[in-house]
Amino acid sequence: MAIRTTAAVLVGRAVRVAARLRGGGSAIPGNIALKIDPGFLERTIASIPDGVVAVSGSNGKSTTTNMLAAIIRAHGLKVFTNPSGGNLPQGIASALLSEVTVSGRLDADIAILEIDEGYGTRLAELLKPKTVLLLNIQIDQLNRYHEPDRVAAMLGRVAAASTDGLILNREDNFLVDLDAQIPGRPSRTVSFFGGVPSLVDGASHGVASADRFGAASAVPGSRPAAVEVVALDGARATLAITPVGTPDGDTDAAARTEIEVRLPARGMHYALDAAGAAAAARSVLGDRFRPELVSRALDTLETVYGRGELLEVEGEQIEIIMMKNPASLQLNLDSLETAPEQVFLAVDEGTPDPSWIYDIDFSALDHVDGITGSKAWQFAVRFGYLGIPVVAVDLDVKAALKQFLALPRPASGHKVMILNYEQMMLIRKILGFKELEGGGAA
Amino acid sequence: MAAAPQTLRILHLFPRLLGLNGESGNVDILRLRSEWRGLPVEVIAYDGGAPLRFDDADLVFIGSGPVSAELLAHPLVLAIAPDLKQLAADGRPFLAIGAGFQLLGDRITLEGGEVLEGAGVFPITTRHGGTRVVGDFVVESPRLGTVVGFENRGSFVDVGPHGTLGRVVYGRGNTETPGEEGFWEDNLLGTHMHGPILANNPGLADSLLDTARSRRGLQYTDAAPEALRSIDERARHARGTIAASPLSE
Ligand SMILES: [Zn+2]
Repeated sequence: MAIRTTAAVLVGRAVRVAARLRGGGSAIPGNIALKIDPGFLERTIASIPDGVVAVSGSNGKSTTTNMLAAIIRAHGLKVFTNPSGGNLPQGIASALLSEVTVSGRLDADIAILEIDEGYGTRLAELLKPKTVLLLNIQIDQLNRYHEPDRVAAMLGRVAAASTDGLILNREDNFLVDLDAQIPGRPSRTVSFFGGVPSLVDGASHGVASADRFGAASAVPGSRPAAVEVVALDGARATLAITPVGTPDGDTDAAARTEIEVRLPARGMHYALDAAGAAAAARSVLGDRFRPELVSRALDTLETVYGRGELLEVEGEQIEIIMMKNPASLQLNLDSLETAPEQVFLAVDEGTPDPSWIYDIDFSALDHVDGITGSKAWQFAVRFGYLGIPVVAVDLDVKAALKQFLALPRPASGHKVMILNYEQMMLIRKILGFKELEGGGAA
Repeated sequence: MAAAPQTLRILHLFPRLLGLNGESGNVDILRLRSEWRGLPVEVIAYDGGAPLRFDDADLVFIGSGPVSAELLAHPLVLAIAPDLKQLAADGRPFLAIGAGFQLLGDRITLEGGEVLEGAGVFPITTRHGGTRVVGDFVVESPRLGTVVGFENRGSFVDVGPHGTLGRVVYGRGNTETPGEEGFWEDNLLGTHMHGPILANNPGLADSLLDTARSRRGLQYTDAAPEALRSIDERARHARGTIAASPLSE
């Protein structure tokens, strides 16, 4: 067994180096390591003293995982985490490869792992999370999971695996009473995060939770929150945190600690991500939890790859908006302060069915300079019916990109590119940026 | 006597329950295609409850949804079945997608074997189950040429000897062995082409509008405005792109 682990680690690492030299980071090394030693992931993870915290949901997994890892690190723990998007078994194994010793030991106190909702059931079996943080169920990749009810069922199985803590978004139609839908465990503490009604209702598209039909035992927002977003000002939010050990239900406001946190960008969804991360840290750390360390951790956090990221191209800053799913696109469009002067859009078959663009409010845009990718014409039709002028459609990505970048610098703000994941990777490569390691695209 | 108002009325059935995946885009597209040609449109949304004066409707649209929503919509659809049958018999065009199409049929057999009675507008039956197909969908319609969209279904439809939207070129269609897709006879069009089917296929939208207009004797003031010509050119490119290299899961 030990020899096999060593072989898995060494071969996996060699493949990882080779893959990097070729310019393609990926889940391949993890895949190979798992082939040589199928128990590699499970066994290595099981040896982590404080266990696993699993973060899942339709949207905001990477951001929140990053926030939670930073908060836990600020409390002095050694954290193992998977990089953004590397949320399938092979992606997690790839991440492990870079950190384990040759004998397969990992130097970490706790693992904080973003997991793909579609693989949630399998990953929950493999990883046996002590704590599970669930963010939301949005209309995400319906072509993949077909129906929000199925995603809810999959996340229910992940939630049921948690032994110590379950943290849920009370503003989500499906999660607000998920604890009542799964078998309970005496050892498990359930806590919620959310926002004050004025902020939740005021977000121009709410929190973009999927519609739920049929019986529900609780109305979104109705559960008492361990961490609540009480104020929002641009990219800063105020969180009210209920003291550890008090029952969440009967805490008067005076007993709560209010902290101010920095968000990756404007937007209520980021504030809720921060509240979720703080609530999970509170649940995991118990008496060791210090609210002020949440502020400190989030202040120093780097923006997660690809979300609201600024790329520097020939001395010019270009803002990237990831179009991962309808909800994330809507929230990102809503967070634009003014209609960008120059906008470029690239979408390919990584988004197999862009039908949902008919549910999106594109009023944040007043024109589009260029559209490319195999779905470009479908977007052009949509903008046609919206009366949003489209300057150019060109399926040749390189040519379209060149034309867009040739535009003179905007008078205010920066160029904005709205991209799906696959086009973001392609365009980064065309522009000569290093590719993302970790693989297993979200 | 006052002149009859020159307005086309679209009845949008159960937009809240049945509107998965951008399907209400179909209603917007019908409205804009008529309004840009000078014929005003009124959209009447019906989500159940107090009965509307259904008789005003010139065109009826019903969309799709997950099985959970289909089950909730079922009694609501049955409650208005006589009105809908009347509208259909009277020549008002219907566009019914996915779950909405199934509910307007004669019968639905659920995966567990339970049988739901449908509204009986379309002479079709549906059987849930089998492998789900998800992917691009290309159909050759004798009336309109290439029709493209997206297929995402876990059910089969039996349309008997009736007319269809067209022959499946890529995707699965009504039956286990790819053959024909949907139902299209006279004023009734039903399909499992999900999402805003009318976006890529403006010919279908115009055909529904023409049926509705001719019943009422309503005219466009400008049959081919520039805005529509440029959108239809984009839609032609969209059909071409999908038909040239369709993909599925
Ligand atoms: Zn369907």
